[in-house]
Amino acid sequence: MSTAMNFGTKSFQPRPPDKGSFPLDHLGECKRFQEKFMKCLRDSHFESARCRSESKDYLECRMERQLMAPEPLEKLGFGDLMAEEPATQDRC
Amino acid sequence: MGGLWLTAWRSLELCAGRWGRAASLTTAGLRLEPLLRPWRSGTRAPDGGLRRLGTWGLRSQARGLLLQPPRRPKSTNPFTRAQEEAWRRRNKTVLTYVTAAAVAMLGASYAAVPLYRLYCQTTGLGGSAVAGHGSDQIENMVPVKDRIIKVTFNADVHASLQWNFRPQQTEIYVVPGETALAFYKAKNPTDKPVIGISTYNVVPFEAGQYFNKIQCFCFEEQRLNPQEEVDMPVFFYIDPEFAEDPRMVNVDLITLSYTFFEAKDGHKLPVPGYH
Repeated sequence: MSTAMNFGTKSFQPRPPDKGSFPLDHLGECKRFQEKFMKCLRDSHFESARCRSESKDYLECRMERQLMAPEPLEKLGFGDLMAEEPATQDRC
Repeated sequence: MGGLWLTAWRSLELCAGRWGRAASLTTAGLRLEPLLRPWRSGTRAPDGGLRRLGTWGLRSQARGLLLQPPRRPKSTNPFTRAQEEAWRRRNKTVLTYVTAAAVAMLGASYAAVPLYRLYCQTTGLGGSAVAGHGSDQIENMVPVKDRIIKVTFNADVHASLQWNFRPQQTEIYVVPGETALAFYKAKNPTDKPVIGISTYNVVPFEAGQYFNKIQCFCFEEQRLNPQEEVDMPVFFYIDPEFAEDPRMVNVDLITLSYTFFEAKDGHKLPVPGYH
């Protein structure tokens, strides 16, 4: 939090996250997915767009293990990834 | 001082008694009286001056001032006197209106603070210029692929908290309108469970308004057992309107900074109305 004592300048107002706080993964249940995601990030020079499917896997793992409130992935911005999957499944 | 002279004149007059010159003495006194009292200027009605001749004590002078008769119109002509009365009345009305307006302005400036707060509550803006975001917006937002923004991560701990807290990636390249995941790692090297609570800061300040966190680990107490190490994710996105804001044209770097504090019992962080 910025504790600037400047009179008149706007100070930063932290906002609470939209969906609340992540419960801590004490047992490391999703650690594998997290490691996969980090490896992907490092390989793609930290470009987030290339590792979106790994991040989707991580969030799905969290939802399965009750570490995150279950929510349709479209609402989390993965709509394009979900749209791709049925297409690949059809092909198979 | 002048009063002494006048009493002298008066006593002379009394002593003179039947002298013919008594009358002339009093008239002389009357003529001299305005000169003898330099601290009282202005014209005066003739009888008012004589009345003060015998009462030259300080207390009675003050009483004389308080019991002053109301100010008489300057002219003796009845027509102009009526006009003067009308002007005086009009001036008084105008003065009353002006004073009332000044007081009303002062009151309005004081009332503006709670009124604005009420307005913010009813419209739901809550002090921020950008309206609230819903999950529908996340669903429908289109990434702006030609605008790449570098987000760097920073981690701090308060001096009294003995955690090892650091980001797992130093930077990440995102585009507005696309959700992104980032990780921090925290380890408790002590032998006691420690509860921490964190807050965040985004630099630059104006870009912070477009930085939306879907889920993170801030503002809630997080407990770490002894020698435990956990991954803390941050799931966020940058509002696609960021690309359309003219003030953000030169902004290519956003820094997200988290600070962990130790949560003591009874110690409340100023969290922003969360839970």
